Amino acid sequence: MSGEKDAFLQKHDLYGCFQCGKCTGGCPVSLKSDLNIRRLMIEVLLRDNLGPIVRGEDIWDCTTCKTCTLRCPRGLEPMNLLIGLRTLLVEEGHIPKTLIDALESAYKYGNPWNAAKNKRSDWAHELALKVLPQGDQAANLYFVCCTAAYDTRLQNVARCLVHCLRQIEYDFATLGDEEICCGSEIRRMGEEGLFEILMHGNIESFKKYDIRSIVTTSPHCYNTIKNDYAADGLEVRHYTQVLAEAIGKKNPFSGEIKKVITYHDPCFLGKQNRIFDEPRDILKNIPGVTLVDFDRSRENSLCCEGGGGRMWVEASGQGPRLAETRIQDAVEMGAEILATACPFCLLTFEDAVKTTGNEERLRVMDITEILDEALCE
Amino acid sequence: MEIIVCIKRVPETADADIVIDKTGRDIEREGLVFDINEWDNYAVEEAILLKEKYGGSVTVISLGPEEANETLRKALAMGAYKAIRLTDPAFQDSDGYAIARILSRAIGPLPYDLILTGVQTEDDGYGQVGPTLAEILQIPHASIVNKIEAIENGRARVHRELEGGLDEVVDLELPAVLTIQSGINEPRYVSIMGIRRVAKIEIKVLDLHELSMKPDEAGEPGSMTVVERVFFPPTGEGAQILEGTADEIADKVISILKEKGGVA
Repeated sequence: MSGEKDAFLQKHDLYGCFQCGKCTGGCPVSLKSDLNIRRLMIEVLLRDNLGPIVRGEDIWDCTTCKTCTLRCPRGLEPMNLLIGLRTLLVEEGHIPKTLIDALESAYKYGNPWNAAKNKRSDWAHELALKVLPQGDQAANLYFVCCTAAYDTRLQNVARCLVHCLRQIEYDFATLGDEEICCGSEIRRMGEEGLFEILMHGNIESFKKYDIRSIVTTSPHCYNTIKNDYAADGLEVRHYTQVLAEAIGKKNPFSGEIKKVITYHDPCFLGKQNRIFDEPRDILKNIPGVTLVDFDRSRENSLCCEGGGGRMWVEASGQGPRLAETRIQDAVEMGAEILATACPFCLLTFEDAVKTTGNEERLRVMDITEILDEALCE
Repeated sequence: MEIIVCIKRVPETADADIVIDKTGRDIEREGLVFDINEWDNYAVEEAILLKEKYGGSVTVISLGPEEANETLRKALAMGAYKAIRLTDPAFQDSDGYAIARILSRAIGPLPYDLILTGVQTEDDGYGQVGPTLAEILQIPHASIVNKIEAIENGRARVHRELEGGLDEVVDLELPAVLTIQSGINEPRYVSIMGIRRVAKIEIKVLDLHELSMKPDEAGEPGSMTVVERVFFPPTGEGAQILEGTADEIADKVISILKEKGGVA
């Protein structure tokens, strides 16, 4: 691992780092992990051999929330350095078994959940959706996401989103079983080659069906298709943007929900793409809702620890999970519903509600699910 | 040390919808996902670890159609040095014995100290190829190997996994065949970049003629067993398939368990 060093110095502009420590200061997992991104910046610069640096378990603790990069006063990208170090491990092949399973599954089945390709659209069985590969046409593609398509809890979010989109008369179709993983987490695990395969696969589908406009369930798909693919002539929006725009014109959600709701900004939607207001606007428009904000909200939102491949690997650190801290904060604020707009946040928070024994006090819901209830009442 | 590993590309069937083909003697391969046989993956990893420890080189051999190149390339990316593919229409329908004979003809002229195979394959599951290969080559073998303790002075000391959590330690003279049990190591991940790096390595292809074999030595004529038919076992009595959402199914399971006295 010594040959890569020069390339690393150049690519990540490590001589530009003046070791101010804002990256580590803002790093949410540094609260509980030995991972120290500032130290990595200097160690990669000083050491001759990168091997011992990257082989520590804490390299997998990073959630790629991007706070370090966003706060760097020199405009450097510590997060990409970390992902680059993961790439060295991936190339070497010695990575946690659970990550190997996720990566091999993404290659073989087009999703990281080891689920069969031909079961991808089972969630939509009774919805009679338009499906592009079946010859249907629509103005927009609904990019469902592997997790929303296969996870039985998240399938409800996809179904609720379908209800919402229909309510605002949004014309959409899916790729059915032809949809494959967007590659967001794959890239952040350091498997750049596999990410490229998935990206090209998706871009080919977008071209084949002449797709110009995409709406996603997940901020991770949204971010990667919008910023990593950066394909020409493709408009990508997260569902909160689509719904907020429609509600701004004419609010179709009339049912009342008399609840105190707090909203958690997913890292990939909020701090990484600055979509802070749309989710809040949607919630504020539901009659009866009292919206309260976390102390750590918007740019300062506390990461749920679900990103960067962390859905497939346990962190090395001790102490409460950040999601548990988040749940405690929400309960103390008197919130009855913790709303979010990301599949990974939803899953990590629901686990944390159970592990902290707050099932009776706090419900974790996706914004689409809250809207769906507002529709029904 | 020269190590040869015999590997096979197999369909992944654990979660797939399996359909029996028109002949009634095999399954439909269409739509299935293929990968290296799980046990063989451990065998390749073990060979690479031995090479890293004792030096030498690893050659991988697979019997199969062109698609098997993908599996061979995966092994090359893991660290194998050479790859050989054996293919011929006459190899179709070979049983474990015939496959061992075909492999033996390819391996015979090569230098080797150790031959590794998986304990068995995920598809046919004969578990015969390794031991039969050893018999044909007239060399010792050890099956279900879950640890290679030492290789020294032309001998190997290996552990065999027996029933009841028991290990047996055997000492055997090299060259020898070892059939490798899953769990012996942690096979490394093979990255896409790794596969790309070995894309240009030539895979040597040998057919019946090049292996100096006669048609009746392979395929069904060269086999000792013939598959008559494959079928799904009939559904037994007492099984109940629950339907509904995850929550509904969980509720039903709980009520059944309560009803039958499984939980209080």
